[in-house]
Amino acid sequence: MGTDNLIRFDHLDVDFDGEFQLCDICWQIESGQQWMISGANGSGKSALAAVLAGVGDITGGVLEHLPARVAIVSYEAQAALIAAELRKDDADIMDVISEGTPVQEIIDASSTDAELASQLAEKFGISHLLDRSFRKLSTGETRKVMLIRALSSEPSLLILDEPFDGLDTQTHQMLLEHLQILSQSLPMVLVINRFDERPAFVTNIAYIDEGRLLSTVDCADKAAFDELYQLLHLKTSDLQIPAADPDFSVPVLDPAQPLVQISNATIQYGDTVIFKDLSWTIEAGEHWQLTGPNGCGKTGLLSLITGDHPQCYVNDILVFGYQRGQGESIWQIKQFIGYVSTALQWEYRVSTSLRHVVISGFYDSIGLYSKYSDKQRDIADQWLELLGLRERSDEPFNKLSHGEKRLLLIARAMVKQPPLLILDEPCLGLDDMNRQLVLALIERICCGSTTTVLYVNHHGQDRIAGIGNHLALGTSDD
Amino acid sequence: MSSNYFNTLSLREQLAELAKCRFMHLDEFGDGVNALRGKKLVVIGCGAQGLNQGLNLRDSGLDVSYTLRAQAITEKRQSWKNATENGFTVGTYEELIPTADVVLNLTPDKQHSAVVESVMPLMKKGACLSYSHGFNIVEEGMQVRDDLTVIMVAPKCPGSEVRAEYVRGFGVPTLIAVHENNDPDGEGLALAKAYAVGTGGHKAGVLMSSFIAEVKSDLMGEQTILCGMLQTGSLLCFDKMIEEGVDAGYASKLIQYGWETTTEALKYGGVTNMMDRLSNPAKIKAFDLAEQMKDIMRPLYHKHQDDIMTGHFSRTMMEDWANDDKDLLNWRAQTAETAFEKTPAGDVEIPEQEYFDHGILMVAMCKAGVELAFETMTSAGIIADSAYYESLHETPLIANTIARKKLYEMNATISDTAEYGCYLYNHACVPLLQDFMKTVKSDVIGRGLELADDGVDNARLIEVNHAIRSHPVEAIGAELRGYMADMKRIV
Repeated sequence: MGTDNLIRFDHLDVDFDGEFQLCDICWQIESGQQWMISGANGSGKSALAAVLAGVGDITGGVLEHLPARVAIVSYEAQAALIAAELRKDDADIMDVISEGTPVQEIIDASSTDAELASQLAEKFGISHLLDRSFRKLSTGETRKVMLIRALSSEPSLLILDEPFDGLDTQTHQMLLEHLQILSQSLPMVLVINRFDERPAFVTNIAYIDEGRLLSTVDCADKAAFDELYQLLHLKTSDLQIPAADPDFSVPVLDPAQPLVQISNATIQYGDTVIFKDLSWTIEAGEHWQLTGPNGCGKTGLLSLITGDHPQCYVNDILVFGYQRGQGESIWQIKQFIGYVSTALQWEYRVSTSLRHVVISGFYDSIGLYSKYSDKQRDIADQWLELLGLRERSDEPFNKLSHGEKRLLLIARAMVKQPPLLILDEPCLGLDDMNRQLVLALIERICCGSTTTVLYVNHHGQDRIAGIGNHLALGTSDD
Repeated sequence: MSSNYFNTLSLREQLAELAKCRFMHLDEFGDGVNALRGKKLVVIGCGAQGLNQGLNLRDSGLDVSYTLRAQAITEKRQSWKNATENGFTVGTYEELIPTADVVLNLTPDKQHSAVVESVMPLMKKGACLSYSHGFNIVEEGMQVRDDLTVIMVAPKCPGSEVRAEYVRGFGVPTLIAVHENNDPDGEGLALAKAYAVGTGGHKAGVLMSSFIAEVKSDLMGEQTILCGMLQTGSLLCFDKMIEEGVDAGYASKLIQYGWETTTEALKYGGVTNMMDRLSNPAKIKAFDLAEQMKDIMRPLYHKHQDDIMTGHFSRTMMEDWANDDKDLLNWRAQTAETAFEKTPAGDVEIPEQEYFDHGILMVAMCKAGVELAFETMTSAGIIADSAYYESLHETPLIANTIARKKLYEMNATISDTAEYGCYLYNHACVPLLQDFMKTVKSDVIGRGLELADDGVDNARLIEVNHAIRSHPVEAIGAELRGYMADMKRIV
């Protein structure tokens, strides 16, 4: 391999039958590295892996030093092989019943090491199938055949797209051990959907989203790895929004009534009017995005709803069935709301464990001052699991990064499954990776819960799928 | 009519009043704010306590409005702005006092006599007059109409903290009392409890006390450890660091944020925990320094407590009130001119642990002040619970105000009475510590010990640890902090 740059992608654009494109991929695979490609479903993981096997039309940029002997195992390759077998059947013009190609022949067509192939067949437990027609195998069995073919073909680059998918635990473990040994001598690129299933020998991770290579991370770079870990954990794990606590549900609201009804509201300090005559109704199930330039009163408007703004008592505000200023307490209002903002993050200076921060969401408190139930603890732990922070649940909150804190506060806001979730500039001050993280979590909440989301940011970007209504406060000329 | 109420009592009665102190359990507050629900609460004064208590009471579902002197309204003074911008109804005494079921007097101490004399005739029969400080009743001997109920609800924190803790879903420890001369219908306690619930105090712990115990302990705490010691310590430590060639910006920052950081450890685990944050050699050093300072300052603490008990302090302060606050204003101006106050905190990162390692002397001052104030109060007949709240408990809260804007912010946030006492202490304490300060170097303030070896003698360490842990303020502190932790586990 003479050069360190085994394979080099330089601003590469690749088209796949006009149906999918990879754009502007810059990537280097160096000797000694073992790569994993990760990303959400449909992000282009398999496409990128397939490029290494010569699939796709290069429409721009340069691809250098692609090795000659590339072996690939993927659904696409598996499907292609099965299709080819079926065509053989169709092409058979003789009037005899085709038995199709035996498994042994399929393996021999690619394998260069018959002894190894036979050992692998034994290990994968398909020795008894070698004489059977390939066409008659189950999906799992054809997958094993594909793996045996690739592993016994002495490739100089091995590409495995979801190699563990559909394998039983024992076979999974066997394959993993085999790859572990191979990894000492053979460069590999693995596509793995579940980030948590990544083999220990992986040294580098490529993260792809919407056909673009967004980042490559060296696993030795702890900070970068942790960030990517969380993002991929959120994007790729098959996780559900944890259920509410059945013993601690907020009172049932009249579905015919809006969650919030603000009529002709004004916020004013001395002679300075922040806004006036503002009316706004939020019905249950209607997600809203609120935008507006700095200083237009977005946070003020929100705090009229949450009750944190003292002028809520002099405006006509109906929230969750309470007309404000009629003897209700602020805690009766807050029980219906989950709230996240930068200001809350500054406020949250009490030294509390991650778990307690999440549990505090049941009590709308900053810090935890109430006895909580085992059930609430379980739910909090499920949220920590969702965020990929379960291992760190006893660590103090103030040890988290800026982005992790934001994620945790969103979980805190959601833990009681409030009728209304208010996210005030949740991406403010976050770098691209953390922004992605927060947006991914919000998207999950919008789609996966009964909570109505009110999402606020100062510009119209960072739109979130599932939010249909938009209120623009002030004008961009302000 | 204005004679010192405390001094009219017999020694037996004085001791009984001073010893009134009972920690109330959360289940005593099961009735919530019901005793005040539907009643009209009118607050006089809209400063830090007035505004923030009112915000809490309203957020607890109570009907709160503000009354100000007509002049404050027509001139749209700050108190008027505070009340109106926060969406409260504001009216003159004549407009609102006659409608009030409870009048909350939250004006500065020095205005109490004038305020109470002008509102009393306007109050409806059987209404309640409430204070957050007993000075007017105890030291000035205010006589209140027989049909009125007189109570006290005193949050043991600056007003800003009263609000901040409520918003967090908690509260601040609060002292309540009923003036026994004025409880015609026996409803004083129920009203005081509901008021404490409305401000969130019941969650953090309520002491049932007396007007007298509150005044005599509160004055002592604020003058000595809480404000006086922090001010004196700030000035002396800063000057010492400059003299030793420590960067001025660094020195300024170490002190401004150092009190807050080191006393945070105090809040969580008492003097023991604060001292445990130091390395072993630094702990022994701090212990020795504190012992020296305690010996030097003990007579001063005794003098403050004695002057408070005899009424000498309140009499001289009231003379200054009559003299247009000449001393107070003069001292305030002097404070603004000190080198510490005029040097902005430098743009340097100081890790949390470094505030301890480089602030050994500050830790020692804090320990000495807390222990002396506690010892002096309890030896004067004040119960340990009260003495704890008025010394150790409040120290981190006052330290927070210094972190915001140095001594200016502290003195602006505390009451005029506390500010006067603070300056009084400072003027005596700075010269008192002069010789001692000549003996210390930047190893205990500004630079740290910088030892090659952190080794210590076992016997000495055991001795020091034992002395720290067996101080009586540690025992009561552990118990009261335990109650707070228990409360966090109840509900």
